[in-house]
Amino acid sequence: MQNEESLVHRAQQRDTEAFAQLYENYFDKIYRYVVFKIGNRTEAEDVTQQVFLNALQSISSFKWKGRPFSAWLFRIAHNQIVDYLRKKTRQATTPLDKSPAISSDSNPQLAIERKLDIEQLILATKRLTKAQQEVISLRFAGELPIAEVAKVMDKSEGAVKALQHSAIVALRKTLVVTNNDSK
Amino acid sequence: MTASKEFDNVLDECLERLLTKGETIEQCLQSYLEQAAELEPLLQMAVAAKKAVAVQPRSEFRAEARYQFHAALGEVASQGSRSFLGWFPRWATVVAIVLGLILVGGGTVSAAGYSMPDSPLYPVKLTTEQVRLALTPSELGKAQLSTELADRRIVEIIYMANKGDAQQVEAITQRLDERLIMLATLASTTRDVTQEGTKDGGAPEVLTLPSVEQPAPSSPEEATGEGDVRIETNNRAKLRVTVARYAVNHPAALRAVLQNEKIPESAKPALRDAIDKTVAGYERVLKALD
Repeated sequence: MQNEESLVHRAQQRDTEAFAQLYENYFDKIYRYVVFKIGNRTEAEDVTQQVFLNALQSISSFKWKGRPFSAWLFRIAHNQIVDYLRKKTRQATTPLDKSPAISSDSNPQLAIERKLDIEQLILATKRLTKAQQEVISLRFAGELPIAEVAKVMDKSEGAVKALQHSAIVALRKTLVVTNNDSK
Repeated sequence: MTASKEFDNVLDECLERLLTKGETIEQCLQSYLEQAAELEPLLQMAVAAKKAVAVQPRSEFRAEARYQFHAALGEVASQGSRSFLGWFPRWATVVAIVLGLILVGGGTVSAAGYSMPDSPLYPVKLTTEQVRLALTPSELGKAQLSTELADRRIVEIIYMANKGDAQQVEAITQRLDERLIMLATLASTTRDVTQEGTKDGGAPEVLTLPSVEQPAPSSPEEATGEGDVRIETNNRAKLRVTVARYAVNHPAALRAVLQNEKIPESAKPALRDAIDKTVAGYERVLKALD
């Protein structure tokens, strides 16, 4: 796997293959992050596409300065979601469990269980503070390590770890976890 | 360090081990027996949350998004080159780029590789593809390259359909059709040779053109040909996987574009024809491979 800093540098020099590689590296993570924040897979698709097109347009403005590329990209995603939610005023959303897009899963039973899990989790997450929600979204959906979550949120790693702890405790209070697969 | 901060660190370390290193909750608890009672329910919650958010994008969306993004990349690449190349007549541009490639290497290849049919770099892209095909020694290698080129044609069709250029969509569809016919021919050729080689237990021949000089073997395994057989089998399996994926993703991406309300009506008949030819083309290739 190529060094990310080198890939970003090449992408800034209009090396399309380098940018395509960055796209592949982050596509799923950004998509999950957006789905989790928006709660609707169909709408999340449009937002995800827009995130990468925005990144493509503004890649030349990215500067390392101690902030990783992932932090920059997730910040674009965050802004895109905020923008999307602001514009989306009275328009009714399709609940996640009624979205026809999910029917593509090959195992219907697994799909139902998964949908219910996501819906429960999204509902439970809405009871958290904004900062706790962001940590859970970036950590679990975006799969970012604590150091990068801290960069995205402009907080110290210690503060993010504390938020992560309190968020998981709060989630557990509202969700009954019956899945003991990990045992 | 306070007890609370210490616990935050322990929890995060366990999460890293669980979520990225694939360790179990028990393994983490073994490392922190004193905090195990407090840790366990939180780790279970975290694992459940991680599973819940592990949604995958629909394959149709993944394909369409990828093609749209590549089309946008192509536009960026061609914009970058137009400012410089706009001064030259078209033929002079092509000659200048090809000479540049010969003199300084492949620096322009990636830009040309993503250029679209309305870009001055596009003839370079097509020429480079022909050269690459000609320089690829094995039939299997040519087949693999052909899948990559078919993928490029799909990106181009989507790009030109978005611009409402039906004529270009038809022209690219023709190129795609020819590419898939060639791919089916190559696939059936490699099948015949590899099957002949294994029917009587003997090793299949390595599929190379006799006119191209091969590099000296770098290992004893390679020298005996056993390594070649394994590589050949693996490569053929990879080809099958790629073709099977494209046979689904390419028509799906084109259908998604067809359903897009922003696509000009003028481009839709050509797009429908492209879908039909893509489906039929991949069916031929899969049949040849099977």
